[in-house]
Amino acid sequence: MKVKNREIKTNIPTASMSDIAFLLIVFFMVTTVFTVDRTDVKLPQSELRLEVPRNTAYIVLTGVEGMIKWSAGEEMSEDYSVDDLYQLVGMEMQKNSNKYFVIKADKATPYRQIDKVFEILKESYAKNIYLLTQQETI
Amino acid sequence: MNIKRNESEVEIPTSSMADIAFLLIVFFMVTSAFAATRGLDYLLPPKVDVPENIEPEEAVHIKILADTSILIDGDYYELDEIQSYLKPKLERNPEKPILLQTEMDAPYYRMVDVLDQLKKVSEPVEKGGLGIPMKHLSIPTNKEFMEIMERMGLE
Repeated sequence: MKVKNREIKTNIPTASMSDIAFLLIVFFMVTTVFTVDRTDVKLPQSELRLEVPRNTAYIVLTGVEGMIKWSAGEEMSEDYSVDDLYQLVGMEMQKNSNKYFVIKADKATPYRQIDKVFEILKESYAKNIYLLTQQETI
Repeated sequence: MNIKRNESEVEIPTSSMADIAFLLIVFFMVTSAFAATRGLDYLLPPKVDVPENIEPEEAVHIKILADTSILIDGDYYELDEIQSYLKPKLERNPEKPILLQTEMDAPYYRMVDVLDQLKKVSEPVEKGGLGIPMKHLSIPTNKEFMEIMERMGLE
């Protein structure tokens, strides 16, 4: 007797795949912040934290004394000497006298480096400063 | 004659949709960084070429030493004691100036810790603060401190 093979069509349901994928896209689009600086530093912790406004200039202390990373707020940060900071901050202050400046530094940075940056900012008549911190976990 | 209709199913090709979507996901995963964009704000006072005379007994002088200990008006205090020290003084006079000085070799995080405590003084009580507005908090630079000391005839 000849037995006819019954062929069962198998297929993986992929109709909802794109739904899931687009859901993930939306999530990443919402959470993505195109940062101007990706220097890996251990930030100091604070309980009180305020959102830093957009297009804020970044002054990053990388740990190497005399060197900083700078971004005026739109482009990726680049290496500069601390002495260049007078000119960089001055240029930004000319464009916008209410410019915000963020200081991003490792928590173990000796205060003398922060003091130097404060000195430059004060001499350039900068007013709005943010110290970048991490959420303090209790 | 009966002509049989050739019924063809109409559909939009969506098989590549998932490929495109996953490609976009990979792009966003690679480019995204969960950035820390929050911090403590600090308003620098405007630079005055001829500073006003500061009477030392009127201001609260907080000094952070290189070994991270905290001196307030000459006495040692713990971090969580700062608010209770300032409370009666600020209640009596909210205009009281507070000077925060950090030694050059002290770690940055200690200054942030103290600044966090000072900023919380002005926060509402329900948010863990004291609800007392602090009007004159200043962080003079080392150079400015030297100038103040010089003017007062101290070393």
